[in-house]
Amino acid sequence: MAHMNTRLLALIPLAVGINLAMGQFVAVMQLPLFLDTVGTILVAALAGPWAAVTTGVLSQVVFTVVSGNIVWIWFLPVHLLIAVYSGFAARHRVFRSLPRTLGAGLVLGAAAATMAWPIAYLVFGGVTSGGVTIVTTLWSGAGIPLKWAVYLASLSADVTDKIVSFLLVRIVLHSLPIRMASRFPLAARALGRT
Amino acid sequence: MIIGYQPGTGPLHRAHPLTTLTIAGTVAALAFVLPGPVGPAVLVLAVVLTAVFEKVPRILRVALIIAAPFWVFAALLHGVIAQDPTRAVTLSARITAMIVVFLVVLASVHPARLVDALVARRIPFELAYLLSATLQAVPRLRARAREIIAAQRCRGLRVRGPFARRIGVVIPLALPLILGALAEVDERAIALEARGAASPSRRTPLNPPVDSTVDRLTRWSLGVALVVALAIRVLA
Repeated sequence: MAHMNTRLLALIPLAVGINLAMGQFVAVMQLPLFLDTVGTILVAALAGPWAAVTTGVLSQVVFTVVSGNIVWIWFLPVHLLIAVYSGFAARHRVFRSLPRTLGAGLVLGAAAATMAWPIAYLVFGGVTSGGVTIVTTLWSGAGIPLKWAVYLASLSADVTDKIVSFLLVRIVLHSLPIRMASRFPLAARALGRT
Repeated sequence: MIIGYQPGTGPLHRAHPLTTLTIAGTVAALAFVLPGPVGPAVLVLAVVLTAVFEKVPRILRVALIIAAPFWVFAALLHGVIAQDPTRAVTLSARITAMIVVFLVVLASVHPARLVDALVARRIPFELAYLLSATLQAVPRLRARAREIIAAQRCRGLRVRGPFARRIGVVIPLALPLILGALAEVDERAIALEARGAASPSRRTPLNPPVDSTVDRLTRWSLGVALVVALAIRVLA
């Protein structure tokens, strides 16, 4: 592991905390979303893909520990994909304009669903608990084969979730006070200002 | 639902943290290797008895709450819709065994002891720090999220309405949380710098857990047992 600077050591635990705290907002607003990768996407925009990967691994481990539900750790590869993709997307200035942000969220949602699908279907037979499984059950009950029901449920949840997550990070980046933004040179690049 | 370390003197509490983690890893792997539904069901029985023997029976209630939705959905998806009750029981027992053994680990391994064991194994200081700092940051940020919700409710936050409006309401909730967290970064970075966190030198844990011969033998035996079970399954 490469030596980490103190700013990253301070940022990453807070980003993981953001990932886990967003769930409370989702619950209060009764939204069919997770928003549990907002902190990871934000770190990707502020500090690059490898800091985001560390945030993703820690998030999944801590979420598993805090919830006591070991099923979540199996979805670690999905969180890693989100971290790497967001880092490279930020490097390509996707937060510069609204259409680019929406497009990046859409692509990530489809990619995340495609990666989550074999884990949900092959390892857990489509039973991963929570809202996604309710949608899977409804599709399956409507006569769609289970493997496609699992994929459709993942796709519908992930695409909306990642679009909203990317939009939220764009709003945060635009709202950063100049003094704070100057601490993270990559943020200016993600917004297409450099 | 509070899940975490429960003080005790059982064999798993006394064991080296890596031994307890190896037991959990082996059970999780065996849940997939052993043929269902008998194999995973026997594993569930074994880990439930372990929890009772370790005197952490309270985790069984938590395990029941976490595992119940899996049983319901597996029964619906595989038992009712796909007409395959054997697969429903196998999947549910598999997941239940993993959940129970993981909760046993959480209840019997103190996080600080685990970090000490990892540092003694020469894992980088950064990793050990990140793990313990994150476990402290999460409850703090969750509490702050609750405060923000309460504050916005005082200002007339409406949690009902169409989907698009509810998504829009997330912004005044999320922005103070995220910007507040980012404002902390500088302060924490300076504190870490002052405590020598940037130094590349190795740290020595003050009181690392003892890794006894019994611990090492247990870990090796579990590894061998897993390989044998896998070989039998593949050859059969």
